[in-house]
Amino acid sequence: MFRPSKIGFALALCASVALAACAAPPPAARPAAQPQTFVISAIPDQDPEKLNRLYGKVSDYLKEQLGVSVVYKPVTDYAAVVNAFRTGDVDMAWFGGLTGVQARLQVDGAQAIIQRDIDEKFRSVFIANVAAGIQPFDDISGLTALKGRTFTFGSESSTSGRLMPQFFMSKAGVALSDLKGEPGFSGSHDKTIKLVEAGTYEAGALNEQVWNARVAAGEVDTNKVIVLWRTPAYYDYHWVVRPDVEQKFGAGFIQRVQQAFLALDAANPAHKEILDLFGAQKFIETKNENYADIEAVARQIGKIK
Amino acid sequence: MVTRPAWRSLLRGGRAVAWVTLVAVAWSAVHVGLFRGELINAGGWALVGQFFAAALRPELSPAFLRLTLESTLITFAYAISGLALSLGIGSLGGLLSSQVWWIARGWKGRALFRSPWLIARGALAVPRAVHEAIWGLFLVRILGLDPLVAILALGIPFGAITAKVFSEIIDEMPRDALAALLNSGATPAQAMLYGVLPRALPNLLAYAFYRLECAIRSATVLGVIGAGGLGYQILLSLQSLRYAEMWTLMAALLVLSGLTDWLSARIRRALGAPARLEVDMAADCATAAAARARATPASRALLALLAVAALLVPLSVGYIRPDFGKLFAPRTGMLLADLFDQMMPPDLSPAVVGTLLGLSAQTLAMSVVAIAVAGAFGLGLAYVAARPARRTRGAWLVYSLARFVLLCCRAIPAPVWALLILFVIFPGPLPGALAIAVHNLGVLGRLIAEAVENADAQPSHALKSAGAPPAQAFLYGLLPITLPQALAYIFYRWEIAMRETVIVGFVGAGGLGRLLTEQLSSFDYAGVLATLIALFVLTVIVDGLSTLARRAFR
Repeated sequence: MFRPSKIGFALALCASVALAACAAPPPAARPAAQPQTFVISAIPDQDPEKLNRLYGKVSDYLKEQLGVSVVYKPVTDYAAVVNAFRTGDVDMAWFGGLTGVQARLQVDGAQAIIQRDIDEKFRSVFIANVAAGIQPFDDISGLTALKGRTFTFGSESSTSGRLMPQFFMSKAGVALSDLKGEPGFSGSHDKTIKLVEAGTYEAGALNEQVWNARVAAGEVDTNKVIVLWRTPAYYDYHWVVRPDVEQKFGAGFIQRVQQAFLALDAANPAHKEILDLFGAQKFIETKNENYADIEAVARQIGKIK
Repeated sequence: MVTRPAWRSLLRGGRAVAWVTLVAVAWSAVHVGLFRGELINAGGWALVGQFFAAALRPELSPAFLRLTLESTLITFAYAISGLALSLGIGSLGGLLSSQVWWIARGWKGRALFRSPWLIARGALAVPRAVHEAIWGLFLVRILGLDPLVAILALGIPFGAITAKVFSEIIDEMPRDALAALLNSGATPAQAMLYGVLPRALPNLLAYAFYRLECAIRSATVLGVIGAGGLGYQILLSLQSLRYAEMWTLMAALLVLSGLTDWLSARIRRALGAPARLEVDMAADCATAAAARARATPASRALLALLAVAALLVPLSVGYIRPDFGKLFAPRTGMLLADLFDQMMPPDLSPAVVGTLLGLSAQTLAMSVVAIAVAGAFGLGLAYVAARPARRTRGAWLVYSLARFVLLCCRAIPAPVWALLILFVIFPGPLPGALAIAVHNLGVLGRLIAEAVENADAQPSHALKSAGAPPAQAFLYGLLPITLPQALAYIFYRWEIAMRETVIVGFVGAGGLGRLLTEQLSSFDYAGVLATLIALFVLTVIVDGLSTLARRAFR
């Protein structure tokens, strides 16, 4: 058996060291804890390493343009970005149409300020594995071909990978229960392509810009995957900023952020790199009112209560 | 443990349980859609092929190996920090919810049930019923993105579980020394410190080391839902279908998990403590006492161990750098009030309640199918994975292989299994149930194997020396002795499988967890609260049934 005195000593030692660890002040070199850091984030709609490359460049560019320290905070899922924006852990975030509306509904005075030229007329694409034998079509009614097929969306909260595709499907009279098995939620646009290419699902829907970018980069085997249909256009991705950044970084800061993005010029090689990664020619201004339709569709599908 | 003629008592006590179990498993199998055509998604086999082909060429670039090492350290640091918190909560809560403590303070007989003892027990029941992943989701809402979230999410529910077991250990100790000390005028605290704690310590420590294994697994799961570390990296690699990276990360996870399990088992053996669930089931202490009498724990080695543990905690906390200031920040209080506002009142409209009832049945069925599959395979593998009596090379090979399979099953978290299974099985409750089954068969197989190793070998030896063939010696010697405990483990694990249905729901694999994901991504907190209430009710029902069933094997 043990000798109590030794054990007591050991336990006391444990307790004192643990207490000392708790009582120690948190280290000062915490980037997120410094009030003067402008924290940006983005919904994880593509492969993480692509996001890290893009937003690393974006933070560097903003740092140089705005003269404040800028940090990109990677976040694991769509809802988590909205939460981080709501709690103020993130000052500005790159949202999709739906997440942007959700975020603004939760933060009074938050503004949609800037988007890519392509976001004014954004589309989703329905794609299919060639082996499924579904023919491309021009009219929305062609979506009825998906009945009895296996199908995957992207993330639950994705505008172009779930919300709008589901909206167009219901418009064409295709309910989720008409599909074979339950619909999948792949988690990202990239994974939707890969799953349809592999034949795990016969068809899927994703955002047109990611599709075009992957095809252009030769990352998709177009002998295996074809585009069935491109949806009508709608407003999508945009930057949303919290109203309290003006208290942190001075009046007019939001306008300066907007200007920084508007100043991105495809003629400048460094700028072009950022624009290319965004899949855009330039950035344009946007406003909250542009997203009224998305909000209506989201309420109809139940993604906004 | 059962010492009566084992088969007969098992049959008598277990008959009702057996019938109910069979009916429940059959109903559940139907309910998760096992017989509803269109289960297998034939299109997915190509991916599975790619996945296994990648095992031959794991990603070994220096940069990625560095990432793997960092992730491993993060997961380990989370486990240690969370465990330290849970042992703190567990020690305090265990003392306050033990009968002995209140008896020592002079609450006698019936008065005990009017003492703070019941309040303490009740207060610990709620955090125990909520899976750590859900704690994580809530804490993120009020504390924001901070490592603190993962430490608390692990520490709070683990603390409540530890408190329950600690209180049972303390209450089971002989009370003669305590009474003597109290009678000679010692204060209650002194009497506890010198009369009860020294005897209880080996068991308390053994259980603490068992929790370390659980903490590693739990830290991995919390990683999957966003805390970072190995779980998170595995999820990212899987989401981008980069299998070569996945195998590297999986190897790291197997090493971390395997080392922890091995170390914990060795220490527990050295402490001569009973297998943990005998404590849980308040089984008779004769075997435990016998086991302790056999063991002679080296006090010095133990002290060294405690010193290492004491050093590991501040190192771990220092490595992940949680911001403790957030606990007292005004923003935290505001966000908590705000979350409370959004959740109250829970959305109990008829439509929602209807959905919840349907999904509750599905969740229950998922947990039953999961534990039935895990139990059957875990039991089968456990007898193979118990240390062989004769050390022939063949026997040793089979044993090592079985151990490795069990390690793979339990080291890889259920959500990751679910994602792999979703390649070939359509979304719905079945892939989720199978994922929980695979993960839990790894845990169960190991626990049962330990029980087999600790079992009394005499009956089976006697049969063998009397000329019985090995199969008969197993059937009439080993099996009857170990089966009651194995079944008790399986029923106990059912409670845990039930809680795990939530985390496979996060990756779209059926049940209430699936609904919870949808509600969270719609920020429908009134709905979230309603779902959590349904989950809580289910948990209480399953815990009750499991306790009833375990009683039949006493």
